[in-house]
Amino acid sequence: MLLELNNISKTVKSGSKKVTLLDGINLNVEEGEFISLMGPSGSGKSTLLNGIGMLDTFTEGHYTFLDEPVHTMKEKQQSKLYKEYIGFVFQAYHLIDELTVYENIETPLLYKNVKSSERKALVADILDRFNIVGKKDLFPSQLSGGQQQLVGIARALITKPKLILADEPTGNLNSKQGIEIMELFGELNKEGVTIIQATHSESNAAFGSRIINLLDGKIVSE
Amino acid sequence: MIKNYIKIAFRSLLKNKGYSFLNIFGLAIGITCASLIFLWVEDELSFNQVFEKQDEVYYVPTNQKYEGEWRTFYSTPGPLAKVLKDEVPGIVRASTTKSENLMFAVGDNTISKRGMYSNSDIFEIFSLSFIEGNAKEAFKNPEAIVITKEIAEQLYGKNTTALGKVVKVNNETSYLISGVIENIPDNVSFPFKWIAPFERFAANREWTNEYGSNFADTFVELAPEANFETVDALVRKKYLEETGDDETFAWLHTIKNWHLKSKFEGGKVVGGRITYVRLFTVIALIILLIACINFMNLATARSEKRANEVGVRKAMGSGRKRLMFQFIAEALLMATLAAIVSIVLLFVLLPQFNLIIDKTLVLGLSNPLHFSILIIITLVCGLFAGLYPAFYLSSFKPVEVLKGIKATTGSATFIRKGLVVGQFTISIVFIIGTILVYQQIQHVKNRDLGYNKEHLIQVDVTGDMVKNFDVIQQDLINSGVAESAAFNNSQLLSGGNNGSGLQWKGGTNTEDVLISFRYVSPSFLKTTNIELIEGRDFSANSAIDSTHTIITQSMAKLMGDDSAIGKIIRRDAEDSYQVIGVVKDFLYGNMYGTSDPVLFFNAPEHARYLYIKTVAGIETSTLLSKIEGIMKKNNPAFPFEYTFVDEAFNNKFKSEQLVGKLSQIFAILAILISCLGLFGLAAYTAEQRRKEIGVRKVLGASVPTIVKLLSKDFLKLVLISILVAAPIAWWLISSWLDNYAYRIDINWWIFVAAGIIAIIIALVTVSFQAIKAAITNPVDSLKTE
Repeated sequence: MLLELNNISKTVKSGSKKVTLLDGINLNVEEGEFISLMGPSGSGKSTLLNGIGMLDTFTEGHYTFLDEPVHTMKEKQQSKLYKEYIGFVFQAYHLIDELTVYENIETPLLYKNVKSSERKALVADILDRFNIVGKKDLFPSQLSGGQQQLVGIARALITKPKLILADEPTGNLNSKQGIEIMELFGELNKEGVTIIQATHSESNAAFGSRIINLLDGKIVSE
Repeated sequence: MIKNYIKIAFRSLLKNKGYSFLNIFGLAIGITCASLIFLWVEDELSFNQVFEKQDEVYYVPTNQKYEGEWRTFYSTPGPLAKVLKDEVPGIVRASTTKSENLMFAVGDNTISKRGMYSNSDIFEIFSLSFIEGNAKEAFKNPEAIVITKEIAEQLYGKNTTALGKVVKVNNETSYLISGVIENIPDNVSFPFKWIAPFERFAANREWTNEYGSNFADTFVELAPEANFETVDALVRKKYLEETGDDETFAWLHTIKNWHLKSKFEGGKVVGGRITYVRLFTVIALIILLIACINFMNLATARSEKRANEVGVRKAMGSGRKRLMFQFIAEALLMATLAAIVSIVLLFVLLPQFNLIIDKTLVLGLSNPLHFSILIIITLVCGLFAGLYPAFYLSSFKPVEVLKGIKATTGSATFIRKGLVVGQFTISIVFIIGTILVYQQIQHVKNRDLGYNKEHLIQVDVTGDMVKNFDVIQQDLINSGVAESAAFNNSQLLSGGNNGSGLQWKGGTNTEDVLISFRYVSPSFLKTTNIELIEGRDFSANSAIDSTHTIITQSMAKLMGDDSAIGKIIRRDAEDSYQVIGVVKDFLYGNMYGTSDPVLFFNAPEHARYLYIKTVAGIETSTLLSKIEGIMKKNNPAFPFEYTFVDEAFNNKFKSEQLVGKLSQIFAILAILISCLGLFGLAAYTAEQRRKEIGVRKVLGASVPTIVKLLSKDFLKLVLISILVAAPIAWWLISSWLDNYAYRIDINWWIFVAAGIIAIIIALVTVSFQAIKAAITNPVDSLKTE
């Protein structure tokens, strides 16, 4: 078992009102799964992903990641955990504008205190694999959307995470670029990386091994 | 990691050129300004430091009681030094010195230098080091003189021995050069370029051996083990023991205080230039503070741009500390660049600054002290300016910023506004200060002096000038350059001889009133335009009036309400004078106070200064060359040395003018730095509200409405600043003005004027951005979303 969510809820205050974003979610994720979270805007997909990725906290329930209780952890321990095991891919890519492709991919390694020689080897490998060696000295603004997302995925993969969380990874891309990215996810999944993506698109969801439908913060079907 | 930070910092610097420029330039101005002030402060603090014996050397001033008030004087009678040395245990050396100007001539090469007559103790007291000759034998010959290397080189050229040479002095006597000492720098309180035996000065001057005349500077050196309090107490008693006078005493003024703490009130040290040193140090720090505030403001205003990066980095696993470290590193980089820019600025500006403050400061970056202070300023600025943005930016939550939810900027906005208010408060205080200091200086300068300082030349009396006066005067008038000329024994603007204990009929005694004596020639009143109220001037035939006196109004009042004409004033048993004229009071000495009563005597033989009233409208160079020609003809052996009285008058306001000029510069800089910041803030506000402006324009808002909308908030801040600044400025300036008896009243309109100036400047700064934002086509600003 990679992770387990037990009766998870999340509420936020909006003015004087309390708004429920997630409501009694139960979810088990095994290693090697490729899960697609589906649902309309505001159904809680992103909130769930952020919570799983420990960028955000749940207000209620138990969250266990690799047999460790995340809900009782301090921010530092959480940060240590997700640095080690989780990679993020964003809809808007979120590359750092001031860094080159190479440096963007290298950044997570810096935060993991990986040695320089090892960093070079790892980044070179992934550039090679994604066929973007020729673009390594370009800045994000010089790339197309699809290429930027490729760099975003390469950056997420560089630390060899067990789990990749992708929030609408193809949302800003045209359909051809979108299919390429989804195929890449399929390949990664075959290699053993667990993937959870949030998506609007039926066709993208179909790449996954399991589809979970959310509505108003609840799992309505699997 | 650090490499990565620096790389990012550099790239983000280049990417945001405008922002980087505002930041670096603002900080550079701050650092430059602070460095200039610190250089000045260093120079002030280093006064007299060239003399080694900082703990042992003292000046001996005297306190004298007049009208129940103790006043401190920088002069002592001749015999005091010897008495102190012989009779006060703990004093090991003492010198009576008399400062004089001598003109040295070697062939055609003549130079005039100030120096002093003293004894050989002075070499030890000031730890003077001899290049040629030695302290022991320097004064063996009564005709000896010790000169500085500077004079030796000017007289004989470099690499020539001056020792043993005979130099002609004042065209009448000769001195034997018995030693050459190292140069004395400019920053000493009692500058001298030569030292000659005191006996030479004292020859034929009986009064130098009497207690009655104060003329000398007395320096003493205490034994290293001596207790200052004990010695000082003994010195204070000496006067009474020697003369029986209990209204005069001498005391010890340490060399450490000569320059910075030489303002006396009631016979005690009450500060002095140290006030300005402190004031300017505080100002330097304030200017740095303003520059740092800019940095903080711009950094936090830009936070939305950086928020995304913060979010990504946190999602990539960066902890808060690392982000803070990154932002501080960026601030340090900016500060370092600013420091480099400021070094360039310093090179360019230092010569101008030197002109303003009348000093010869050098940047001296090779001096470890200067270099380390620059580094400390840079580090402190970088850290101080970077800390708040670092805290603020690194606190962003990745989920929020990555989703594009605007970071809650409530507290940052508040702090930013507070900082802008702080900056403008300081700027407005400077503006008000500048205006008031200027007003005060003008106020005193426009004061009715009681004489006309314009078109008045003062010439040092030398050689045959007194003997040939009639011819000189006639020549001056005949040549058409002068209206009249007259002698005085002291400078018109300064205090001179004075005394007390006068008596007049009616039994009234002046008791403690200090009265000044002026020995003049008959046309002095006419030459200086001192107004005669009653009676007559001395007649041209001076012999007649040798027992007559002319007095000032305040003196007449002292002698009773009736007319003073005809009354007899007695100086002592033999000396009595009849009053023949009363003149209006005139101002001398302290330009901010009221001057003591004056008695004029008709005694041209005491002349030391010749005053020439020139004809108005003649070009200065023509004027001077004609007068010089006449002087050369009638007093051929001496060079023509002169001062314009109005210039001398202006020189009396040096320290006030320094404050005025510096305060002006600081005001401009503070405003400039603040405006750089405001400009940046306005730019970011305009950018932040791009969409809002676009929507408003689509809905039909006009350009002026939008400009008003964007400028309004900033103007509010400036208005608050005015309210905060006014009382602070009022308090500061009132305490400064309290130093002056003759002072301006602080007018309310100055605060209004300063406020209007600040508003206009802020408005111009902000509206530039506002107009730019307002005229943008809304299509452009809306489609980016």
